[in-house]
Order: sequence, then C-alpha cells, then structure tokens
Amino acid sequence: MNALLVSAILGVLLMLSSVFIKNRSYIHALALAGLATLFALNLAELNGWLLFEIDVKGMLRFDRYALVMNAIMLASLFFYLLLSGNAMEKVGPHYADYLALLFFICAGLFMVTGYASLLILFLGIEVISIPLYILTGSDKRNLKSNEAALKYFLLGSFSTGLLLLGIAFFYGARGNFTATVSVDPTVVGSSLQLAGLLLLLFAMSFKVSVAPFHFWTPDVYDGAPTVFTSFMATIVKVALFAAFVRLFEDTFSLQFSIWQPWVAGFVVITLLIGNLTAVFQQSVKRMLAYSSIAQAGFMLLAVYAINGDSKEGLLLYAASYSLATIGIFAVLTYMQDYAFEGFNGLAKKQPLVAASLAIFFLSLAGIPLTGGFLAKLFMIKAALAYQLWLAIVAVIMAVISVFYYFRVIQAMYFRDNTQSISPEFPKAFSILLLITALIVVLLGILPEAILGLLYF
Amino acid sequence: MQSSFQLAFLIPLLPLIGFLINGLGRNWLSKQWSGLIGAGTILGSFLISLFIFQAVKAGQGEVISYFDFIRMEGLRIPFAFQIDALSSLFLLIITGIGFLIHVYSISYMHEESSTSFARYFSYLNLFVFSMLLLVLGSNYVVLFIGWEGVGLCSYLLIGFWIKNQQYTKAANKAFIMNRIGDLAFLLAIFWLIIKTGSASFQEVFDFIQANQGTSKFSVTDITIVTLLLFIGATGKSAQLPLYTWLPDAMAGPTPVSALIHAATMVTAGIYMIARSNIIYSLAPLTLSIISWIGLATAFLAATIALRQYDIKKVLAYSTVSQLGFMFLALGSGAYIAAVFHVLTHAFFKALLFLGSGSVIHAMGGEQDIRKMGGLSGKLKITYATFLIGCLAIAGLPPLSGFFSKDAILLSAFLHQPLQYGIALFTAFLTAFYMFRLLFLTFHGSFRGTPEQQAHLHESPALMTIPLVILAILSVAGGWIGIPAVLLQDADWLGNFLAPVLGSTTHEVSHATEWLLMSLSVGGVLLTIGFAWFLFRHYRATESRGILRFFENKWYVDQLYDRVIVQPIFYLGRILKEWVEPRIIDALVNGVGKTVQLAGRQIRFLQSGQIGSYVLLMVMAMVVVLLVQFFIRK
Repeated sequence: MNALLVSAILGVLLMLSSVFIKNRSYIHALALAGLATLFALNLAELNGWLLFEIDVKGMLRFDRYALVMNAIMLASLFFYLLLSGNAMEKVGPHYADYLALLFFICAGLFMVTGYASLLILFLGIEVISIPLYILTGSDKRNLKSNEAALKYFLLGSFSTGLLLLGIAFFYGARGNFTATVSVDPTVVGSSLQLAGLLLLLFAMSFKVSVAPFHFWTPDVYDGAPTVFTSFMATIVKVALFAAFVRLFEDTFSLQFSIWQPWVAGFVVITLLIGNLTAVFQQSVKRMLAYSSIAQAGFMLLAVYAINGDSKEGLLLYAASYSLATIGIFAVLTYMQDYAFEGFNGLAKKQPLVAASLAIFFLSLAGIPLTGGFLAKLFMIKAALAYQLWLAIVAVIMAVISVFYYFRVIQAMYFRDNTQSISPEFPKAFSILLLITALIVVLLGILPEAILGLLYF
Repeated sequence: MQSSFQLAFLIPLLPLIGFLINGLGRNWLSKQWSGLIGAGTILGSFLISLFIFQAVKAGQGEVISYFDFIRMEGLRIPFAFQIDALSSLFLLIITGIGFLIHVYSISYMHEESSTSFARYFSYLNLFVFSMLLLVLGSNYVVLFIGWEGVGLCSYLLIGFWIKNQQYTKAANKAFIMNRIGDLAFLLAIFWLIIKTGSASFQEVFDFIQANQGTSKFSVTDITIVTLLLFIGATGKSAQLPLYTWLPDAMAGPTPVSALIHAATMVTAGIYMIARSNIIYSLAPLTLSIISWIGLATAFLAATIALRQYDIKKVLAYSTVSQLGFMFLALGSGAYIAAVFHVLTHAFFKALLFLGSGSVIHAMGGEQDIRKMGGLSGKLKITYATFLIGCLAIAGLPPLSGFFSKDAILLSAFLHQPLQYGIALFTAFLTAFYMFRLLFLTFHGSFRGTPEQQAHLHESPALMTIPLVILAILSVAGGWIGIPAVLLQDADWLGNFLAPVLGSTTHEVSHATEWLLMSLSVGGVLLTIGFAWFLFRHYRATESRGILRFFENKWYVDQLYDRVIVQPIFYLGRILKEWVEPRIIDALVNGVGKTVQLAGRQIRFLQSGQIGSYVLLMVMAMVVVLLVQFFIRK
C-alpha cells in the first residue's frame, strides 16, 4: 500500500521534473532516490508500518508474499536503473518521461501483486500494459520499434478482451469480483465460472508469454529498444506470475483438478517451443526472447503445483532470473549488433564483464552455486509432488537450454575476436555488473536471505 | 571444557595459516621468511600439543565441538575434535618430528628458487595440517577430511619436481593407490552412518557395543565394516596389496620421504584401526586377516630390501616392512604395542631418512649405495646418528626399537606361534638389510667419482642438529614402555593409553619372556655379524636365483601391470575407439539433430503476421474449450 501510492506520485513528479531539471544525471539520481524510498517504504510495510490508512473496501491485500515479491522487484529495478540509465538516454530525448512511465508501471505492478478483487487485477494489468506499449515504440525513428509497438498493442488488446470477458463470466457466476474461494455449490460446478476460469487462464498465459499464447513475445522483445525489453522480460513478467499464482491459488483452488492438466500442457508446450526455438537464433537478443519464454515455462510450474515449494521457488526465480537477465541485457546495450560473434574474445578484453556474464548465463541454465539452480530445483521439486514425467521434461529442457546459453560463454572464452571493434564498458559499469553477478551467486548459496523474509 | 583444551583448535589452524601465507605469498616471500613461517607454525603447534599432552596426562580427554559440519534430517556430523591419550600422543609425534623435518628442509632445499621453496613449505604445512585434522577428528568424517588431505599433499610433494616425468608418475601412482583404499574407507563410513546413524567415534562404538550380534548390527556388519576400514588402511599405510606406491614415493625430496614415512601419512592407517579398536575387538576374523597381511607385508618387503641399491629404496621397503609389524600387532590385538612401534619407528625412521638425505646431499644427489662407501670418515655426525638408527631399527637393547619390537613379537607369540616364527625371522632380515646398507654406505672404500669425493662434506648445522635430536630420541624413546619383566611398573605408555586402547595383560611367565628376548637379541647380533662379514668390503655380484627375484621386487609391479593396468587400458581403447564414436556420439548427435529438426519446424509458426498469431491462439483456445466442455466434462 505504501509503495503503490508513492510510486504513482513519483511518476507524476518525474514527469514534471523534465521541465525543471535539464541535467539528466540529476533526473537519474532522483529516480534512484525514489526507488530507494519505495524500497524502504515496502520494507516498512513488511514490518507492519503503514504510511497511509485507507479503506480499500477489501479490494487490495498486501500479504507477506506480495510484499516480499515487491521487494525483489524493487531491488531488481534498482539494479536495472543503475545498469541501464546510460542506455535509456540513447533511446530518445524524453529521458524523464521514460522514467516516469517506469514508475507508473511500478504502481501497476504493486496492484497485480496485491489485488484482492479481479477489478484491481484488470486495472493493474492495464496500468502496466499501456505504458509498455509506449515504451516499446519509444525508438520512434526505428521501424522495428514501431512495428513491435503496434503488434504488442493489437495482440495486447485482444488478450485484454479475453481478460475482461473472463471477469464478466466470473461475475456472472458469483455476483461479485472478490478474488476468493467460493464454496457455494451453485458456483463451484457452474459452467459460467468454468468458462471464466479458462478465459482468465488464456489471458494470463498471454501476459506472461506462455505458449501457445506467446507469439507476440519474440517480435516485441526483439523490436523494442533493448533497455525496455530487459524491463519487460524480467520485472513485469515476474509480477504477472505472482498475480497468476495468486489468482489460481486464492480464487480457483477448488477447480484445481480442472485447470491443473491444462497448465501442465502449457508448461510442456512452452518449454518445448521456448527451448527448441532458442537453439536456432543467430541474435543474442532474440535468443533471450525465446529463453524468456522457456523460463516462463519453468515459472509456470509454480502455478501448476501451488504449494510451499513452488511459491518459495517463484521468489527465488524472480530474483535470480531478473538479476541475471537484466545484467545480460545491460551488456547487450553496449554491443554493436546482437550476433553471437560480437561476444568473441570478450574474456580477454573485458575479464570482469565476461566473468559476470558467464555467471548470469550459468544461473539461467541452472548450474549449481547460482540462484538459478536453486530456483529450478524448487520448481522441479514442487512439480514432483504431482507428476514425475513433468519434472523429467523440465530437466531435459533445462539441459537443452545449456546449449544456447553456453554458446555465449564459449564465444567469450574460447573464440578469438576477429573484428577489430570491441565494446567499451565504463569501469563503474563493470564493477556494478560484477556485484550483480555476486548477488546471483549469493542467492544460490544463501537462499534464506530472501526466503527468510517470508517468515520473519 | 578444560581451559587448556581451548587452544586445541590452534594446533591444526597454525599450519593452515602457514600454508596460506606461503602458498599465496610464494612470489614475494624470501626464503628466510618461508622457512621461518613454515617451521614456526609447526613449532607453535608442537608447543600447544605439549601443553595439551600435559593436561591429558593429568586428567581425562574430551570432545570439543565447534560447529555442525553436516546437519540434516536424522544425521548430525559435528566438526569436533577428540582429545585423549591416543590423539595427544600422535599430536606430539606429528608436530615434534614434523618440526624437525621442517628445520632440516630449510637447509636441504636451499638450492630451490624462492618461489618453489615457498611452494614446498606451503605443501609441507598443508600436509601437517591434514594429518593433525586426521588425528584430532572426533568422527570418521573429519578423520576422512584429513585422510584425503594427506593423500593430496603426498601427491603434491612426491611430484614436487614436476618437470621430471618419472616423479610425476610416482605421484600419480601414490594418489591412485590411495584412492583405491579411500573408496573402501568411504564405503565403511557410509555403512556406519546408515547402520548407526552417526559417524562420531563415541556414538558409533556405543551403538555397536550395545547392538552387536542383533539385527541392528550383525556380525556380518562388523566384519564388513572392519574389513572395509582395513582396506582403507592398506592404501594409506602401504600394506599388501596396495603397498607399491610407497617405494616409488621416494621421488619426492628426501625430507618429504621422512615426513611421509615417519610422522604422517603411513601411520594414519594404524591410527584409524587403533582408534576403532572397540569394533575390531569384536571382529576376530578381520583381526586374523590383518595379522596375516601385516606379516606377509613385513616379510615380503624385508626380502625386497635385501637386494636394493638405492639408499632411499632400502629405507622405503624397510618402512613397509615395519608397518607390516605394526599391523601384525594390531591383528594380534596388541593395539598399544602397535602405537608404541609407531612412536619409536617415527624416531628412528625419520632419523634414517634425514641421515640418508645428509648422505645424498654430501654425494651431490647420488643415491646408489654401490657408488658410496667409506663415508664414515667425512660424515662423522651423520654416520654416528645413522648407526644409532640402524641399531634401533634392528632392535638391540636398550634402544627404542628393541622395546616396541619386543612387545610386538611377544603379542604374536601369544597369539599364534607360527606368526611369531616368521616375524622373528623377518626381524633378523631387518637387521641384515639395515646393516648391509650401513656397511655399504659408510664402510669400505669410496667407490664414487673423484669429483664426488672432493665434494664430500658434513651437512650444515640445520641438518645435523635434527639428526642428533632424533638420535637421542631413538635411543631413549623406548624407555617409556619398558615391560614389567625388566623393570617393575615402568610401562608408562601402556598405562597412559589404556583408557583408549584397553590394557593388555600377558599370561606369560617371566622365564618365557626372557627366552624370547634373548632369542631375538642373539639372532640380531649374529645377523649383524654376518652382514659385517659379507659387506665390509663391497664386491659387485650378479644376483642369482631367489635373490634376483627379490631384487626385482617379486615382480609385483609387473604383475599389477599385466593383471590390472593393461586390461584397463585395453578396455579404455575399446571404449574410445568403438563405444564412444559409434554409440555415445551417435546418440548425442542424434538428439542434437532431432532438436534442430524440431526447432526448424517450430520456427515457421513465428511468421511475424498478427493475423496468423491470432488464428493460432484462437485455435488453441477453441481446442481447450471444446475438450473441457464436451470431452472432459
């Protein structure tokens, strides 16, 4: 609650700041300070301290899980701003506006992690989506960026329609929007609610880019300015997953046996499509787009299993996946083009950057001692509670993912740079990247650092 | 906790710190500093060990727990040290002799570059650290950590001169042979953990004593565990069939050999079995196997030592042989005698090795005793101390070796007279080959090159002082365990170790004991005389018959090569040339090709057209809705 209101205010503040503050580094500092404030407020709320006392008529509910998820997102966003501030400047002249939009999206993120009514869920998703459409098209003179924004908008509207229709069916069955379990026998078995459930499943699957509703993802991620792709693929995605889990845990847990097989099917298709297609990509950026689909397949296991392991796993996943992906995209913004060859021999020229990148990719592939390993472990353990074959598929797919992640590591460490141009990284950037990488490793060694927040 | 025990953690920690400083700072440290740090940390450990030894002597030992090393459901393995009579005695041996060897090394290794000098001392410190951990651990897991550390360090030190391919091979051999034993040890630990739910000595022993013979821990369990532990010990302590690495381990610098043979490493197996004596006492079958294997090793190694010409090889086989004696004692249930022999052997074997190092140093690296001779004139201190070492190992009273060997022979006599007979004969062989070595090296006329003769000199004080100290210990070290037949109430060691190893009371008349003693002393004297007669003047002779067999070490290396190594190579070739390309590669590439093919098909779905995306999504939704509403209903 604290963070939700303040982030909306901060958005307005930043939008106005471009009028008064001409120096971009001040704006950047302001945004960072704002984020720090949000983080502190969120932590305060985690300890029971509220800035505002507002009666929301039970439409919002910030439990520990939501607050911890918010904390992870805010921390990731902090690293994102630190690492990507420079790249954001290059997108276009409206630096302060981009930041303002990010803060508006933040408000939306807090709504979807803390909703208690489907109306708020809808509102939150729209508050996230509309600024994202703008950010996708923010590179105005770039045709690809424009195309991506249009595609995103059209397909996004389509899914919003599904979402609304689903909510309407839901209302028809229950007579309210409350996101809780209904034990009313006329509701439990009703076809209206079933239809609503499935439509909500489709819509949420679309938002988190789960196959077969993922088609927008590669095109949009590839076309959008890299710095915003990074944001979409990480922080937004994990927030939507938190909403996804909350929806099916709180609202549809009685229909578990109906939707679980469908989710299992989606998991398999998503893992297959994400991983198999990623193998073929020649551009690292596009490969990452598919890899984000593949990772979504893993995160979907949290929805599939809905148990203690999967919920803890999702938190770990959110932290390790976001940080690693943000780090990789941040490096990508410094690259000439996004071909794998661009990474050739990076280890010799930029040992710090290469080492950090290697850690990020190891984490994404789920190699032990990194956060990504534990995250995958939790997910697979959660799935094992129900189906062995699903866990086996997940493991096989994780093995395939090693292929395309390691291609970059191989390029950095075992290939020689044939081109004379190699990217230059500021010293501060390399060190920050290394710190991010160390946090990813730390997550793999001391997961209690995050999971502990859930219980104390 | 007794206040003096609070320092116990420093005993292994100091060498570890020394290892870190020398290891990390090897490019910057001068030789003086490396040596000072290397030897100083061990001296510190030695002083604390003395302190703790005093405390143990005054009272009982105890277990000090530091933190949980492994904690999971149903199993807790603390990182804890056990301080009692047995471990405190070993601490003294390891740090005391270890310190002398460190001091000696400073001079012996002075020709190395400062980087490899520091590297040498860092390994040496790590070696001592591992051994201390091994001895201090209060459970099998901590013991195993030290056990593995010792194995690693022996590998590093045997292959210290990494540029020599032969030495590297010797290091590999040591490591691999040890690994074979380690595997058995590891299995024993797992077996114990599964059966008893703990790895701590006290808990395991209590459990086994309480449940022996029941379904919780059957007689078979006891036999299997003790046998597996013993196989582990045969690797580390160089017993049949895993002893061949120890003679090859001579490749390392001579002080390292002294360290491996006297203070650390090879005594680990003895220590482990002595530590587990409570289980072993319940396993008569295993004990009998141990005694026979120990005896066979003692005899075999002694015969090989008869015909070796490398000064260090003779000593190496003598170590294997003496270790065999110790295992014979263990197998006879005389744990105290075994530990006693570890102690005295540590003194005189360290002395002999360091003495041989002094000889090699004087000879400019020459190790072949056929090219030595008449060195007693030039190397007076080395000769005198070496002579004491030989007398001690031969077992002449009142030197230390006499008392410990006598204890072993007595226990063998009580246990199994046939074993006694062989052991006694082996003891004569020991005297024979040791004095052959002494006479060939120090007596007669010099047989080396004139340059070597001109180079001959006594070693510097840093090398001779440890020799003198060790010589004194070799003489007097046995007086802590004088049997009652010679002096009433003088068996201090037996009383000291009794709480851990159990006391041994002999049902044997004094007359018999006198007889046994005079038999062995008389025999040894005769043997020495015989050796003097044969080797006072060296005559090159071609070995014939059985001697040739001994000279070639019973062809055991060749046998292993034929029976084990070659078949494994053959199997490896099959795997490499046939299985890997045709099966593994085919499988892997097949999977890869399938993935590629599938990926290529799926990629076409991503057409870039919004219309087709929407169509595909709608199709998916329609399928789900139809199935849900009409089929799954």
